[in-house]
Amino acid sequence: MRFAIPQLKLSVRLILLIVIIVVLAVLPIIGLSQQWLIYLRLFFIYLAIANMWNLLCGYSGLISLCQPAFIGLGGYTMVMLAWVGIPIYVGIIAGAIVAAIFALLISFPVFRLRGIYFAIGTLVVPEALKYVFLLWKPVGGMMQGGGAGYVLKGAGEFSTTEVYWLALIIGLASIILMWFTLRSKLGLGLAAIRDNDTTAASSGINVFRLKLLTFIIGAIVTGIAGSIFYISQAAIEPTSAFGIRWTMVCILAAVIGGLRTQTGPIIGTIIVVFLHYALARYAGYSLIIQGVILVGVMLAAPSGIMGVINKTRAYRSLVQLASRY
Amino acid sequence: MTELLDLTAPLLRGILLGGLYVLIALGLSLVFGVMKLINVAHGDLVILGTYFAFFLMSGELLGHKYSVIANLGIDPILSLVIVIPLMFAIGYVIQKFLMNRALGISMEAPLLIAFGISLIIQNTAQRFWTPLSRGLTPGYALECFTVGVLRIPLIYLLDFIAALVVMLALREFLKRTYLGKAINAASQDKRAASLMGINNNRVYAIAFGIAMATAAIAGVFLGLTFPFNPTSGVSFLIIAFGVIIVGGLGSMLGTFIGGMILGLAQTFGGYFLGATAQMLVLYVIVLVVLAVRPQGLFGR
Repeated sequence: MRFAIPQLKLSVRLILLIVIIVVLAVLPIIGLSQQWLIYLRLFFIYLAIANMWNLLCGYSGLISLCQPAFIGLGGYTMVMLAWVGIPIYVGIIAGAIVAAIFALLISFPVFRLRGIYFAIGTLVVPEALKYVFLLWKPVGGMMQGGGAGYVLKGAGEFSTTEVYWLALIIGLASIILMWFTLRSKLGLGLAAIRDNDTTAASSGINVFRLKLLTFIIGAIVTGIAGSIFYISQAAIEPTSAFGIRWTMVCILAAVIGGLRTQTGPIIGTIIVVFLHYALARYAGYSLIIQGVILVGVMLAAPSGIMGVINKTRAYRSLVQLASRY
Repeated sequence: MTELLDLTAPLLRGILLGGLYVLIALGLSLVFGVMKLINVAHGDLVILGTYFAFFLMSGELLGHKYSVIANLGIDPILSLVIVIPLMFAIGYVIQKFLMNRALGISMEAPLLIAFGISLIIQNTAQRFWTPLSRGLTPGYALECFTVGVLRIPLIYLLDFIAALVVMLALREFLKRTYLGKAINAASQDKRAASLMGINNNRVYAIAFGIAMATAAIAGVFLGLTFPFNPTSGVSFLIIAFGVIIVGGLGSMLGTFIGGMILGLAQTFGGYFLGATAQMLVLYVIVLVVLAVRPQGLFGR
């Protein structure tokens, strides 16, 4: 009874899904304003990142605070390759590969740590990378003013619509990926580990391997989302690319919406993006309010908005109603 | 011979700077040791202490300059008389109303709440005191003293002395007073402690308050040593983690040696590789220790 959509017949569900995707895809063509495209673009990028964090923290018990590392690496790989003349699309894929390899590399030290220690270990990683990229300037074309950043060559060829489509693809892909992952053997294994990892290990589940696999999947999707974000920014610089702000986005969206629910990050991301733009004029206050909401939600409803809604009677009867069709 | 002399400068500076890092890490270590709580807002709380001292010295707040306070121009170290109780109260409130409840919810709840607190403090500081880089600069902050031919900033020596004083005071407090013993008991066995008539939640709130009192001292000396801005908290949080990871969790001697190691790593890193690389050297050391000996160099 946890999800409304799986209760419907498969064919109905599929049609519904396709209709939603088509509508979202043609929005820019049927004349949605640029402003809304920018809102939605950020929404889908944040959604992909939040979904992956939910997969890591909610479903695998890995409190990863190194998601900015994957965003920055994805973005930097793409930008640097663009400077040596490699197309941006190839750069996005290369960024995903670099993020995956990096996830594999840091898994050796950080996977020796458990629970809260894992969180500390991963917190150091993006900060270290920030200094690496402040020091290491392999290709030319510095930003104006001698900063350590790069302008993305060829970003001008991308229209808002094109970047919107890219964001849409990664956002939807992250939802579909979550859906399949949780229903696959990997998802079952993760559920078993979450409930009791000793029992899971003794019944033949390779705990290490499954966790590593989700960590790498998370790195790939987060890396791609990062590159797409930096296409829209047209420039990259280490302090923001590897900044702790990204970790905040992951946590806010996933926790406010509801960890361990598939719809939670969607609701959470809507709230985060709404606050981001609604309070844009009062730049600092937006984040203060988000912090207050995070603390409040965590204390009043640790399972997040969707966690609360899932428990209410009205929602359950709605699900029951839906399942009749 | 001159080369050897060149190396004694970063050596001495590193050891003294290590004192500041010990000071920053003490509060984090205490909170972790007693409540098993990773306070990711620790760096920001330290910086908040720095800003309180900054306000008392300069009178700047929300773009105004309150001349009453500016004319008083309270010395940062003297301002600790006000900043310590203030930070103690903030810590007490955070633990009593937020963390005590969070500890009962789940393993990740306190961590996420600490993240929320860090977000609130960082951005409030940005509203109150702008994102500009600031410094606490009374006259003595810029003075140097000479050892032989070496010139060392006086404040580095003060950092080290402050660290020693706070560390010894904290140790004696935990060993000798009733409250200190209660804190120790609650950290060793929560259930047994409560059966002995200790109110765990109250003890936790006091422990967090004491941690914040040390953070206030750390904040003031940090402001005297380095320039700071509202987002500096993260790097000092990582340094504090580094100190307790390298030294091993829960050991005060380990924390002290951990601080020295990180201080030396930073000054030698700066000496051989340049200013930007010195932080990288620190982080790499933390990661290597995590990979090789997760329990720390001096952990069990």
